Amino acid sequence: MRLTDASVAIRPRSAWEAMDLGVLLARRHAGLLMASWALLTLPLFGLLCLLLWQYPGWAILLFWWLKPLYERLPLYILSHALFGATPSLKQAFKALPGLLKPQLLASLTWRRLSPTRSFDLPVLQLEGLAGKARNQRLTVLGQRDAGGASWLTLVGVHLEMALWIGLAALLYLLLPQQIELDWSWASLVDAASGKWLWLEHLSNLLYVLILIIWEPIYVACGFTLYLNRRTALEAWDIELVFRQLRQRLTGVAYAMLLGLGLLFAQLPNSVMAAEATGSSCPLPDPFGPQAERLLNQPLNSQAAQEQISLLLDQPPFEHKESVTRWRFAEEAEEPSEEDIQAWTELIEKLLKLAEGWSSASTLALIFEALLWAALLGLIAWLLWRYREWLATFAGRLQLPQRRPPPAPTQLFGLEVSPESLPDDIPSAVQQLWDEQPRAALGLLYRALLSHLLHQCRLALKSAHTEAEVLSLIEPLQHVELSRYSAELTRHWQNLAYGHRLPPAALKDQLCSQWRQLFGQEAHP
Amino acid sequence: MFSSPPRHACPPLDTRYQVETPEGIDLQLRPAGLIPRALAFAIDLAIRGLLLGLGYLLLALLGQFGMGLASILTFLLTWWYMVLFEVLNQGRSPGKQMMGLRVIHDDGTPIGWAASLTRNLLRFVDILPFAYALGILSCLCHSSFKRLGDIAAGTLVVYRDQPPAAPQLADAAPLRAPFAMSLNEQRALLGFAERAGQLSAPRRQELAAILAEPLQVPAAEAEQRINGIARGLLGPT
Repeated sequence: MRLTDASVAIRPRSAWEAMDLGVLLARRHAGLLMASWALLTLPLFGLLCLLLWQYPGWAILLFWWLKPLYERLPLYILSHALFGATPSLKQAFKALPGLLKPQLLASLTWRRLSPTRSFDLPVLQLEGLAGKARNQRLTVLGQRDAGGASWLTLVGVHLEMALWIGLAALLYLLLPQQIELDWSWASLVDAASGKWLWLEHLSNLLYVLILIIWEPIYVACGFTLYLNRRTALEAWDIELVFRQLRQRLTGVAYAMLLGLGLLFAQLPNSVMAAEATGSSCPLPDPFGPQAERLLNQPLNSQAAQEQISLLLDQPPFEHKESVTRWRFAEEAEEPSEEDIQAWTELIEKLLKLAEGWSSASTLALIFEALLWAALLGLIAWLLWRYREWLATFAGRLQLPQRRPPPAPTQLFGLEVSPESLPDDIPSAVQQLWDEQPRAALGLLYRALLSHLLHQCRLALKSAHTEAEVLSLIEPLQHVELSRYSAELTRHWQNLAYGHRLPPAALKDQLCSQWRQLFGQEAHP
Repeated sequence: MFSSPPRHACPPLDTRYQVETPEGIDLQLRPAGLIPRALAFAIDLAIRGLLLGLGYLLLALLGQFGMGLASILTFLLTWWYMVLFEVLNQGRSPGKQMMGLRVIHDDGTPIGWAASLTRNLLRFVDILPFAYALGILSCLCHSSFKRLGDIAAGTLVVYRDQPPAAPQLADAAPLRAPFAMSLNEQRALLGFAERAGQLSAPRRQELAAILAEPLQVPAAEAEQRINGIARGLLGPT
């Protein structure tokens, strides 16, 4: 046995895949396997039929019981075919008597009903172990793939049944109808009378024919399960690659030795060649890569380019496909009179049909109501389903509500809330002016801002500067107020930032103007 | 029906199915054969039978209306059970899920409505003449184990790829390989180190001794050396 000769790809597989490989293996050698099986079983079945003509049930039972004996032949063929030495039909039958001897009794008695029969057979037949060693071997091998072998047997039983019934059904379907009409089922039930023995033997024959297809596959699946188990246990795949690697490496070593000898023999030549070629670095080509070159040999650059472009035009480099579609013709043909008549008739018929349907309008109404109810229900369900989403996001979908921001209580660090101001501002300013002009002017300016905020409803923010406040007053269209505010702001800025005192005459002017502007309004 | 080409012309038998994508990537698919597929079908059949039985029991209480519903249920379970599961559950009906199978297109893409409908409608051709006899024969004779419906729809039943477990390498100091190796050879060395637990000690030594000469070490040290190279190939983990 040489692994390098194996005709299957050796690698550890799952049990299912190992059985698939068995199917493929049986398929490759199908002709030989089926022919040998048929040659072995058909005569035997014929003999059994003749001997037990009165007892067709016993005949098929005996035939079935002897199955493990026939299975040794396909296994012999497969085990030799695996390593390339496929035997001929003649060789296989010559080897048959020797195959039957070992473990004959065990195969036909306590191993007959074992579900792992196909998996155990290679151990019994190919390994040639005896006694305790064989049992130990079976135990070790059966640790993993035995489950798969049991499933194989179970599925196999059902497959045999399915194919058997299928073939019988096919024959029944092929019966001429007349025979079927005259069929008297009662006579079939009366099979005990012995009239229908030939039919039972025919049905048995169908089973035997089915086995010609299935049994080689069953044996092959068991064999590949066994191979798979040994591949896993003994790492056959690794051995295979190691052997190839060793051959490559040691082979390379020999080749190097050989090559070295040749080199020494031809040393002068190679030195001359090196001189002739000169520099090992080629000069840049002055004509570029498109120029014609290599003109002194059969395949010059032009021919090579043509071949390359020819190759590039073919798949897989070029992918062409033609697409066929239906589309409207360019010009619609004039409808003929007959067509028009046919159409009008059709429409009239449809109208009549619709009248007929009006009687069913109640039904339509019910359906309509049902459909509307379904739609409404769907909407309600959607609303209910996404209620949380709606609650979260629907609020954001509305227009932003304009809520006036709360009026600031401080501008430029000055208190502007009405509560912080005295009731009579001009008189308070006049009192303060002489001793604390800064506080007086500040108070006036604060009062102005407070007035703008709370009476004029100007949207002042703490970020506004004095100039911005002035520009916000402009749109109010109040000339007096604008002028007064501008003047007050100018003096306040001069004092606050420039530390320049306002002229003394300003006191009365500002206060009187304040009274003119705001005096009539009762101060809050 | 069966074909048996001359042995010398054909490459080693394998259960793999290669698909090359337009990008030049080779996909290795493993078509599933008759036995796991038959088991998957049996599981599906049992599930459907159970559902139908329960449905009939419940619907029988509703009288004639129930009979109507029961026939609708039968229709759905007969014609749509496989299609819906295959298209909506990544090509896996419950039976296929249990057996580790899935259905895909021939080119490795997920199965769509058209292909799934075709392969499941043509189930009724596979059933002919009785008990799936044609399907069984077709499955046994096709190199990718396709039944007639699969051939018509251009689909393939494959084993799902299970995520591999992290390999446990034998302990050794990492070594650099003294010679260049192909991917296959590197895999074999790694496989040797990974599967050390499944192999017997004498078998390990026997395997390692094959490489003793190229590695230029005595046969007894070859195993340790190979383990070291495998550790080096694996790199830091």
